[in-house]
Amino acid sequence: MSAQMATNAVLVLVILLNLGMLAVSRLASGVRLFALQSLLLAFLPVAEEMLEGEPLGLHALLIGGGTIAIKVVLVPYVLLRIIRTGEIHREVEPFIGFAASVFFGALLVVGSFAVASRLPLPTPPVSKLIVPVALSTVVLGLLTLVSRLKAITQVLGFLVLENGVFILGLLLLKQTPLLVELGILLDLFVGVFIMAIVVYHIRREFDHMDAHLLDTPKES
Amino acid sequence: MNLVRVVAAIPEAMLILALPPLLLNIAVKIKAWFAGRVGPPWLQPYYELYKLLNKGAVYSKTTTWVFRAGPIVNLAALLTAATLVPVLSPDSLLGFPGDVILLAYLFALGRMFTVLAAMDTGSSFEGMGASREVTFGTMSEPAFFLSLIVLAIATTSLQLSQMVGPHLYEVWHTVGPAMLLVVGALMIVLLTESCRVPVDDPATHLELTMIHEVMVLDHSGPDLAYITYGAALKFLLLGSIMLHAALPHPEWPLWVDAPLRFIELAALAALVGVIESSMARLRLNRVPLLLAAATVLAALAAVLTLTGSMT
Amino acid sequence: MTLLLLVAVPVLFAGMCLVLPTSPLRMAALVAGVCSHLAVVVLSWPATELPAARDIVGLDPLGHLFLTLISVLFAATAVYFVGYHQKRLISQRVFQACILGLLAALSLLCISQHLGVIWVALESASLTATPLIYFRLGPKALEATWKFLLMNSVGVALALLGIFCVAIATTKLDDTVVLTIADLVRNATHLDPTWLRVGFLLGLVGFGTKMGLAPLHSWKPDAYGEAPPPVAALMAGGMTLGAFAGLLRMFQVCVAAGLGTFAGSWLIVFGLLSIATAAVFIVGNNDYRRILAYTSVEHMGVLVIGIGLGTSGSYATMLHAMHNMLNKGALFFLAGLIWRSYESNQIRDVRGTLIRSPLTGILLLAALCATCGLPPFGMFFSELGMVLAAAQVGRWWVLALFVLTLAVVFVGVMTAMLPMVFGDPPDTVAVNSVQVSSPRWRRITMLSAATVLLAFGFGLGTYQPKPVRDALVRAADSVYQPRGGDVAITLATEVHP
Repeated sequence: MSAQMATNAVLVLVILLNLGMLAVSRLASGVRLFALQSLLLAFLPVAEEMLEGEPLGLHALLIGGGTIAIKVVLVPYVLLRIIRTGEIHREVEPFIGFAASVFFGALLVVGSFAVASRLPLPTPPVSKLIVPVALSTVVLGLLTLVSRLKAITQVLGFLVLENGVFILGLLLLKQTPLLVELGILLDLFVGVFIMAIVVYHIRREFDHMDAHLLDTPKES
Repeated sequence: MNLVRVVAAIPEAMLILALPPLLLNIAVKIKAWFAGRVGPPWLQPYYELYKLLNKGAVYSKTTTWVFRAGPIVNLAALLTAATLVPVLSPDSLLGFPGDVILLAYLFALGRMFTVLAAMDTGSSFEGMGASREVTFGTMSEPAFFLSLIVLAIATTSLQLSQMVGPHLYEVWHTVGPAMLLVVGALMIVLLTESCRVPVDDPATHLELTMIHEVMVLDHSGPDLAYITYGAALKFLLLGSIMLHAALPHPEWPLWVDAPLRFIELAALAALVGVIESSMARLRLNRVPLLLAAATVLAALAAVLTLTGSMT
Repeated sequence: MTLLLLVAVPVLFAGMCLVLPTSPLRMAALVAGVCSHLAVVVLSWPATELPAARDIVGLDPLGHLFLTLISVLFAATAVYFVGYHQKRLISQRVFQACILGLLAALSLLCISQHLGVIWVALESASLTATPLIYFRLGPKALEATWKFLLMNSVGVALALLGIFCVAIATTKLDDTVVLTIADLVRNATHLDPTWLRVGFLLGLVGFGTKMGLAPLHSWKPDAYGEAPPPVAALMAGGMTLGAFAGLLRMFQVCVAAGLGTFAGSWLIVFGLLSIATAAVFIVGNNDYRRILAYTSVEHMGVLVIGIGLGTSGSYATMLHAMHNMLNKGALFFLAGLIWRSYESNQIRDVRGTLIRSPLTGILLLAALCATCGLPPFGMFFSELGMVLAAAQVGRWWVLALFVLTLAVVFVGVMTAMLPMVFGDPPDTVAVNSVQVSSPRWRRITMLSAATVLLAFGFGLGTYQPKPVRDALVRAADSVYQPRGGDVAITLATEVHP
């Protein structure tokens, strides 16, 4: 199996998992889907080097290991803990409905494929799917963030957006691996840490985690 | 069109016509085994069809010719469709470029007349079943069409026997993951159109939970036989399309191909039986989500194939 | 060495704030930290040579100017903070440490020459600012904090995506390009233009969210309305400048690559949209702190329009940036005083400041005139400069819309906030009015901080002394000629895609 086929397969699964996260209503299922997605993405840099027959570089291992440690183990653990102690298990029906958001998400995926076809890469990448999938993951993350009501789901949307940025960063692993590592892991770790703290405060303050209910009318 | 093919066509046609009830009985047997029972005899569906054909039909005073025509038109449409679908061999009995469109419309014709016959009775149960059938049909059609589009692009042909024939075997690796998505979508469409769990439970006797069975509550005698046989035939046809897309065979001789296809069909029926035994039916307002998932799978496969991103 | 001190000093004093036992000691540490930072900045003038091509950090004219402005603002705020009466803190240690942390992050942002380091500094600034908004505890503050955190995190993530796109644009070259501004500018004409454009747009969205450009501004009214006024002053005057510096770096690369018109047009679009949005939401608004937040949105819009208008507008932009800092500081300090005095966010509850506390009233009137762009305050001259720049490049529609929206904002702010100055104070003074109970020295400290800033705004409006003027001119030139004359780009000789 060549590196291209492996990358293609993983990226198609990533899109499916994105759309799956739009469809589930149980918060814990959404978190687990994100963990699975991150696991698949963590293997990409390592698999790419292994399948091309190159010796394993330190950067690839660092990125893969760091991604697993943070995005597959630490962040889902924190989020699941918040869900369990907050006893909020299900997302309420969002503004545009589950089935409708899956349809809309599929439309956005098609749109991002169209946009990506107008962005030719200067150097040929390992897989032609990287740019469209990165773009669609970012857009679907934004869609989740904007259309969902619970704070945990909004955090999940942000995490999916970060995954999309990571996918685009795969193109840069040879050139500037430090930038990718720094960006993804530092940002994710610290950012989600702070978010978890704020969600904890929200739960304590409001006794619920509905972010949309925080919107008290203002401009009067 | 060699002589062997022409001569073999007649037994093949008879075999295709005889197969459907047996196939569904495999699923029933599997479900019985899961429940710890032995299940009905293998030839039981044939006995039941024979019994129904010899009975007389009772027609309600509120029905018109639509009610009498419904089962007949449905069966006729499905029999015509059977000539277009390759079941036991790479070729279908009849075929021409563009026959995939005729196939889709034949399925739609059958569905339409069943629904009209159901509404013709004026009963609220049948009306409820009719509305559900049409809703879910609307949502499963895009998935079906998009899957066909992917196959058409991959094999650059619009003839069904070409689309799922040996040519697909050669081009499979160029579309790779997209084919898996198509197979997933077609599986969900199969379960929807033949009214299996998780969309509709064929063994339920609560009318409010039925979709297909409730539409045919008032039919009796030969009409019921036509309907039962037609449903089984639909399962066979859609299952064949799915199997041919999932497991394309290269150009093998007929005496190797046909038994292999038979085994695959039996395995598919067994798989459906296993699915029915291990899952509960979905809540009705969650079914659109399942169908949206099927459409999304097919749409994604279409996008991947259209943009040529897999090569 | 200086560069290291600029970041290390605030961090060191932040650590002290966390560990010192008593409150006065911590406050002393805060003030000492800010003042030492200001001392280091002052000592770094006059500026040295430009940073080398592969330096990750360095002081170029643009960064130096912004660093100085930020440091002055932090110093004034620290003085104000000494007088600001506090209640219901989240944790005084965390709060003060975060203020110094914000200073460190913004210093790093100004001195960094590498896109990655800029991004790290931006992220740090965002994260250190979050606890500052949550100062007062309670549901509304929490909502403002959540909105701020989420929107800024998304903005920062999109900025990272933009930086990745710029990095992808560099893969067109065979040899590796370090992502420093200098190196990017040097190789700019060989970069992939499509990806550079995408990178700039994403960077505009990302940095624009941090600045508060419309339509990404919706966190601003909540955050500035709920955060304590000194924090709002820091954010409006300091953090926005830092984000603007980051945006300008990407703009420098685009100009060097020949995409100046493209980038400039998008900046003008966002700028006009910001001023228009501010105009719409100021009119009829009843909460004076939210009105101040919208004026901040408006001024950010003016800043980016100035840059978008080309070389003739960039001096006006630098002048505007300086006066924005002075102005916002003064306005929010005064808002804090009013809030202490009247215990209300609503304008209808605030009347007759001139009678109740005359000095505050006069200063408020002066600050309002300054914000709206009345002479002899500095913003008049900067906005006039932009009008002239627009006329010079022949962008008449931009000029018309600019003047129109600014006029609407002027009317809105004045009609909303002038009643606060004049009129009779309400008879029913709040029972627990802090004005009565806070000691004189606190009020004097707060007032003096505001007075100093306003005086500078007044003085530096009509006349800028030569060192100030030189700094502004060099910063303005560096936007379009980052290497100081090596790469002479004018808008007329651009590459059209």
